[in-house]
Amino acid sequence: MVNLGKTVVNKSVDEINEKIRRGEAVVVTAEEMVEIVREKGPIGAAKEVDVVTTGTFGAMCSSGAWLNFGHSDPPIKMQRVWINDVEAYTGVAAVDAYIGATQLSETKGMEYGGGHVIEDLVRGKEVEVRATAYGTDCYPRTEIEIRVTKDDLNQAVLCNPRNAYQKYTAATNSRSETIYTYMGTLLPRFGNVTYSGAGELSPLNKDPNYETIGIGTRIFLGGAQGYIFWEGTQHNPTKALGTIMTVGNLKKMDARYLRGATIPKYGTSLFVGLGIPIPIINERVAKTAGAGDDEIRTNILDYGVPRRDRPVIREVTYAELKSGKVRIGDRDVPVSPLSSLKRAREIANVLRKWILEKSFFLTEPVERLPTDEVFKPMKQAVAVPFVRDIMTKEVVTARPGDSIASAAKIFAEKGFDHLPIVNDEGKLVGIVTSWDIAVAVATKKKKLFEIMTSRVITAKEDEPVDLVARKLERHGISGLPVVGPSGELKGIITTGDLSKLLRR
Amino acid sequence: MARKILLNYSAERVQEPILATVIKETGLTFNILYAEFTGRGGEILLSIEAPDQEVDKAIELFRKKGVEVREIKRAIHLDRELCIDCGACLSLCPSGALFQDKDNTVMLDEDKCVYCELCVPSCPVKALELSRF
Repeated sequence: MVNLGKTVVNKSVDEINEKIRRGEAVVVTAEEMVEIVREKGPIGAAKEVDVVTTGTFGAMCSSGAWLNFGHSDPPIKMQRVWINDVEAYTGVAAVDAYIGATQLSETKGMEYGGGHVIEDLVRGKEVEVRATAYGTDCYPRTEIEIRVTKDDLNQAVLCNPRNAYQKYTAATNSRSETIYTYMGTLLPRFGNVTYSGAGELSPLNKDPNYETIGIGTRIFLGGAQGYIFWEGTQHNPTKALGTIMTVGNLKKMDARYLRGATIPKYGTSLFVGLGIPIPIINERVAKTAGAGDDEIRTNILDYGVPRRDRPVIREVTYAELKSGKVRIGDRDVPVSPLSSLKRAREIANVLRKWILEKSFFLTEPVERLPTDEVFKPMKQAVAVPFVRDIMTKEVVTARPGDSIASAAKIFAEKGFDHLPIVNDEGKLVGIVTSWDIAVAVATKKKKLFEIMTSRVITAKEDEPVDLVARKLERHGISGLPVVGPSGELKGIITTGDLSKLLRR
Repeated sequence: MARKILLNYSAERVQEPILATVIKETGLTFNILYAEFTGRGGEILLSIEAPDQEVDKAIELFRKKGVEVREIKRAIHLDRELCIDCGACLSLCPSGALFQDKDNTVMLDEDKCVYCELCVPSCPVKALELSRF
């Protein structure tokens, strides 16, 4: 194994397996290990404990399954294939297809997706497979529709490119509107915090040096025995954000540990149950396997800022997250875990039981996972423009006390549609559109404050224009005032500014 | 257990101080869980903690004053078979009706529910259901 320095306790995986065989191995869950290390120290714990079982049960979007349907007569080379109206990827050989967890149903949308197809297959339900093809001399058939269960398939292999994030960032939302993200529903003005990961139960947290976890490691996957076969995509061990690629026989899995899910207004996913046994080969591994929730830290990020690098609101421990309340500013904000701690604990216990029953033995990695890899951002040829790049900076404004008639004059002379209303300090207090003026003419109202909209949807200078387009569309409006940090008016951005981009 | 009563006001009744009058006449204390009024009428959801007879009396009084009254027996349901205890609903619940017990099982205290409905679409496995009143 890796040489990370000399240790006092030294056990091999073979020795530990021998103890399991003899029924003498001491196997504890990661939560129990936290107590043991606290009590006896790493060396004492390493002498006493042979295996620590871990578990996590969370939505893991980077999941899917390879399916092989067998050949029809006459045969077909599937060009496109749908399972229960969810498209699977079949750009490989004739009757192989990969069904991904986040692919949406073409008839039910977000209600049903690849994750649900996988769950239905595991439950032994019949699924409808529909395929089309262009037809060749060797594969003449151009269409097929069949109903199958997992038993009718040759292979059904869960094969997940990125699972079991070592830990994950927590999320909150600074905006004045509710947003729907892969981190769940985030209430306005820091109304809640959501987080993912099982903290002290989470597998990769327990061996962050990848001393025992590597390629070929046998794991609990979806209720069956599976394997780690590579580092996960976006594996980022230097930032304590390691991931793994996993594989296992879907036919043997249990829907209790593999559940299709819909994240509101985001899409579908798959809850994956995953557990890794950590052989306690020395006190260094004992120490990391015994790290408690109070030692595992992550950042709460502002998902209200839809950028790759979201602002950090604060650092937090999993202990605080698990308490159900997190302090932000002077408020205690309610917290939602998004992965199930209860089922994570259950998985660690099932894995423990398997080992004690001698139906699960530990493996030495065939190859180590990289510990120095860095997760690179996308290489983009064209940078996305920001609001400040295209907004109109010279904005005609009015005061709340100005007359409607004066505003009507401005609209008529300048030929635009939005009039931001500012107070004495230049802060935005409302907006009046040409439509509001048209309506006001039919009433007896005189002043702008009587007709202005005071809950104004705004943009910020450093927002990408894509976000502006989303806001305009969502609210059915044609322009947004741009404001600074304390609400001061900086400019205005309209559908006209956006359409100019297309002409560039 | 507190009983939950949904009052439905027609447009004509909106201007009258009916709730205040019933409170005065019965001497009961009501907890308003939810209220919404427009020019076309309105709704108030009350929680009343009192002996059954007295609650019945209050209902009778509301009816006499021209308010439609319906008692809410069960509005929100957590299907424990479907629930995976992920807790996505917890931080959305404003009243603490959804909570986790010691072993992280998600539980529902229907008594505390204010029918805001935020939790229902948030559930990734559709374990929460609201029967409309």
